[in-house]
Amino acid sequence: MGFGSRFCHVRGAKFLDAQRLTKTYRVGSETVYALRDVNFVALQGDFVVINGPSGSGKTTFLNLMSVIDRPTSGEVFIESQPTSTQSEGQLAYLRKTKIGLVFQSFNLIPVLSAAENVEYPLLLQRRPKPERQERVAALLAEVGLSDLARRRPNELSGGQRQRVAIARALVSGPMIVLADEPTANLDSKTGEAVMDLMRRLNEEHCVTFIVVTHDPAVSRYAGRRVRIHDGRLEEGEGNGVAASAS
Amino acid sequence: MGWRLPLRSLWRNRRRTLLSLAVIALGTAVSLFVLGFLENSRFQIQESTVQEYGNLQVASPKLWKNETDGYDYLVSPRDVARLASLLEMEPGFRGSTSELQFPGLLGTGRETQVIRAIGIEPENPVLDFAEHAVAGRGLQLSDTASAFVGRTLAERLSLSVGSVIMVTLTTVNGAYNASPFTVVGIYKYSNEQFEQQVVFVPLAFAQRLLNTDGVDRIVISLDRIEASNPVASRLAAALQTDGTHLAPRTWDDLSPFYRQLASYFNALFAFLSLAISILVFFIILQVQTLAFLERTREIGTIRALGTTQREVFGLFFSESAWLAVLGSSMGVALGALLVAAFNAVGIQWLPPGTIEKFTLGARIEVKTALVPFAVSLVATLLSALYPAAQASRLRVVEALRIE
Repeated sequence: MGFGSRFCHVRGAKFLDAQRLTKTYRVGSETVYALRDVNFVALQGDFVVINGPSGSGKTTFLNLMSVIDRPTSGEVFIESQPTSTQSEGQLAYLRKTKIGLVFQSFNLIPVLSAAENVEYPLLLQRRPKPERQERVAALLAEVGLSDLARRRPNELSGGQRQRVAIARALVSGPMIVLADEPTANLDSKTGEAVMDLMRRLNEEHCVTFIVVTHDPAVSRYAGRRVRIHDGRLEEGEGNGVAASAS
Repeated sequence: MGWRLPLRSLWRNRRRTLLSLAVIALGTAVSLFVLGFLENSRFQIQESTVQEYGNLQVASPKLWKNETDGYDYLVSPRDVARLASLLEMEPGFRGSTSELQFPGLLGTGRETQVIRAIGIEPENPVLDFAEHAVAGRGLQLSDTASAFVGRTLAERLSLSVGSVIMVTLTTVNGAYNASPFTVVGIYKYSNEQFEQQVVFVPLAFAQRLLNTDGVDRIVISLDRIEASNPVASRLAAALQTDGTHLAPRTWDDLSPFYRQLASYFNALFAFLSLAISILVFFIILQVQTLAFLERTREIGTIRALGTTQREVFGLFFSESAWLAVLGSSMGVALGALLVAAFNAVGIQWLPPGTIEKFTLGARIEVKTALVPFAVSLVATLLSALYPAAQASRLRVVEALRIE
């Protein structure tokens, strides 16, 4: 299959580096800190689980890592390149080619079939049709949905939808997959299956996973745990890669 | 997603899409029907104008400018022959005939009537009105003091075939002359005033009465109406080059009524198209804005996946393009059906100032259909610009927050 596998020889290389990230919002005349001076490094092949209660800044952190939002101060480096100076088009290119996203509510396009949803990122990359078909078929087989390729999202269960979303996140061979509460809308059994799948894909294909969750059960899948509280990161048990609050 | 995503997105809300299609289709159909109706009316008037005036007329510039002094504008036989030789070189030339028009006073012994007599070459292939005869016949080559009168004039003066009328006129030298004419035929025409005033007489006899060998105009028939202007330009240039003081006028130059009517029809259609476009514009604008609002989260998702702002704009615009093409095509089909049904019913109408009923109809050709199609298409696409731009400018994070 090959998605992600081309990076296996660089397991442990620094891919994503966030330095002194702060994100504030204005609420009336008050400034609210969603993130305060956060440093974080993700290495190739990491499986990071970020825990924290609601409102702790998990989603804000993920939005900044996936470059769909910009920090108030600080910098996110992807492959050592600063992202704050990049245009919207350049950031879109980064997301399209290097970052995969999995959402809490799956966020599949309702008018497209499972296969077409998985194919979407490849279309954005203007990949040729035979290549698209091959990769989509392989990814759907990987997540166990080959038989349901032609179904629309409303004809799939929650777990199946999330597996389609994972296939979509991986199809273009990203270096990192960022998942925001991927099990929140699933029952515990399905949630476990989804986490098993992500963990397997991480191990087999060297794709870095950063999973944000408030579900303590997800933490057991972590190669590395990070806790986020009041906008600050605290490194938990794991491989000891830098993640700290200043 | 190529064509698939925009096309499928159209059917997310079927009722709304069908309503949009209905608005576009109805607007296009009404527009096409009205244009077809106006085009048919214009075409019929054009045909009757060409029938009355020929494709072109050539005469002295004095006649066209109404700067005549007596009969000083008449065209000599030499110039007529010169013109004939020029016309022989025109590929679309079908035929020509000379005319000599003069005012006269027609008397029956009981009543008199001012007339416009037209001396024509009998049995000419261009303009002899013989096919309009409702009694008797048209003029023939052997005729001398014969008259072919209009139905309204005949009714008014109680004339019938065989009646003898006296026509009094002024010769080119300013002397009075008069001659009896025998009515050999009565014609009908769509224009009441024409029927009442115009009396056709043989050209040779008219020249004898007026004491001239000249004519006042040469009427030219061409194989295609579109050839009128190019032939007129070439003739004008050739006549100027060889110093012949004659000037051509095309059929629409000669009929200010036609020109006014054509302008009026164009203005009417432009106004109608504008009204329909505005209607289509605002309805589609509202529909697409709603679609954009409903799909804010989805826009956030595809942007998060790496879709550029330009691609999002293209996606929404493509949806409207599908809507525009489908709606406009349906409208053309519906309009064609309306036209066919209208033509099949065959409603009769008597236009003001005319005495002949004619069948109302509509006429559509490819170019006629293209105009309403294009108008609806452009109105729909314009209405899509704002929602598509709004969709493309959404901030990803904010869009993803929308439930």
